[in-house]
Amino acid sequence: MTLEKIARNIPASLWNVASEKLIDIVLNSSNASKMPSDLAKTILYYWQRDQLATEVGLHRVLEASMILEPEKTVDLMEELGLSKIVVMLKETL
Amino acid sequence: MVEFGIEFVPRDLYWKTTFYAIQAEKIGFDNLWITDHFNNRNVYVSLAIASAYTERIKFGPGVTNPYLVHPVVTAQAVATLNEIAPGRVVCGLGVGDRTTLQMVNIKMRKPLSTIRESVHIIREITSRRTLEMQGTIFKVSGAKLNFKIANPIPIFIGAQGPKMLALAAEIGDGVLINASHPKDVENAMTFIRQGVERAGKNLDDLDISAYTSFSMASSYEKAFKAVVPVVAYIVAGSPEMILERHGISVEFASKIRDAIVHGRWKEAFSSVDNNMVEAFSICGAPKICVEKIGKLMKVGVNQVVAGSPIGPNMRKSINMIATEVFPHFKKRVGEKRT
Repeated sequence: MTLEKIARNIPASLWNVASEKLIDIVLNSSNASKMPSDLAKTILYYWQRDQLATEVGLHRVLEASMILEPEKTVDLMEELGLSKIVVMLKETL
Repeated sequence: MVEFGIEFVPRDLYWKTTFYAIQAEKIGFDNLWITDHFNNRNVYVSLAIASAYTERIKFGPGVTNPYLVHPVVTAQAVATLNEIAPGRVVCGLGVGDRTTLQMVNIKMRKPLSTIRESVHIIREITSRRTLEMQGTIFKVSGAKLNFKIANPIPIFIGAQGPKMLALAAEIGDGVLINASHPKDVENAMTFIRQGVERAGKNLDDLDISAYTSFSMASSYEKAFKAVVPVVAYIVAGSPEMILERHGISVEFASKIRDAIVHGRWKEAFSSVDNNMVEAFSICGAPKICVEKIGKLMKVGVNQVVAGSPIGPNMRKSINMIATEVFPHFKKRVGEKRT
C-alpha cells in the first residue's frame, strides 16, 4: 500500500496531533540530510499554506518521516493507538 | 513602535531554515536576518528561498561583511532579492566576525573607512547611479547595475565599539547593536546619539536594534546549554573594553579565541560561565527573557533581534516566543505595540 493510502486511513480527529509529532520527528532527525529536496519543498509549500495537518499535507510529512526515521514513525503511530496504520507501515519497510 | 527580528545561522539544511522562517513569519516576527559566514550555507541563497515561502516578513543578511564580499556584489545581491520580494529587503552590513576572518587570513583593516565606503557603494549602486569612487579602501570606476530596482534598500550597520556605533548612526538607516545586555545597549545609545547629531538627523528616524544572542527554553539549564557555543564566539570576538565592563578577563577571552581558531571546541565551550552568558545573551525561561527584553526597550531600542541559537529546540522555542513573549509586547500577529 502506498503512503498516500496509508495517510488516508489516519482518522481526521488525529491529523493535528499526528502532523505535529511527525514534524518534530522530521526536524529533529539525525538523518535530515536524507530528505529528498523535492519532498522538502512540497512540505514547505503546505506549511506556508497551513496545510500540514490536512490529508495531503499529512501524507507528505508521513512520507518524510518514513524516509528519515521509519522506526520512530511506527512507534508514534503505535503511541497514537493506530494499530492498523502500524501494520500498513511495517509492510512498506 | 517595537519590532521583533529573528536571526538564523544557515548551518542547518536549507529546508529547515526555511521551515523556521515560515514559522517566524506566522507567529508575528517582523524581520528575518540570516548570518553570512563562508563556512555555512550561502546567505543569499538561503534568503532567496526563505523569501519565496514568505509574504510579509522583511529580511536581509545579518550581517554581511565587505572584507569577504565586495560591496558591489552585496549591492547586486540585495537588489536581486528585492526583485523577488519588493520592499521587504534590508541590508545588514558589519565588519564581520574576527574569528572567521582569521581562518582565511583576512585582517580587519581600517574598519571605519571600510564600512563608510561600503555603505556609500551599496547605496549608490542600489540607487542605480553610476559610481566613480577613489576611496582609501575601495576604488570603483563606472560601476552600475544593468537592471532596475524598485525601491531604496535600507542599510543597517552592525556595531559594537563606540566609533562604529556613532558611524552606524551617522550613515546607516538602522543600527544593529551587537549586544544583549541593557548596560551595553544603554552605553551604545550615547554613541548613537553622537552619530545622529553629527549627521543632523533625528534619533526617531533611525532604526535602533539590539541584536541579541537568544536562548529560551522551559528551564535556564536547557537554554544555557544551547547558548554556550555562541557566547564563546562573542567572548572571543569582543573588544577589551566590553569584556572589562562585564568583568571578563581579556587574557581568558584570548584563550577562548585561540581554542576556537584551532578547533578545540570542548576547551572553548567549557570555558563559558554564567557571567559570560548573562553578559552576552538573553538566556533562560520565558519570564527572564521577557524581563530582559523589557529592559532593552526601556533604554531605547525599537527592534529586538532574537539571534541564534533561540533555543535548544528551535521549533518549540519559536512557538514559546509566540505564546510567552509576544503577548507582553505585541497586540496581534502583524501589529505592533509601543
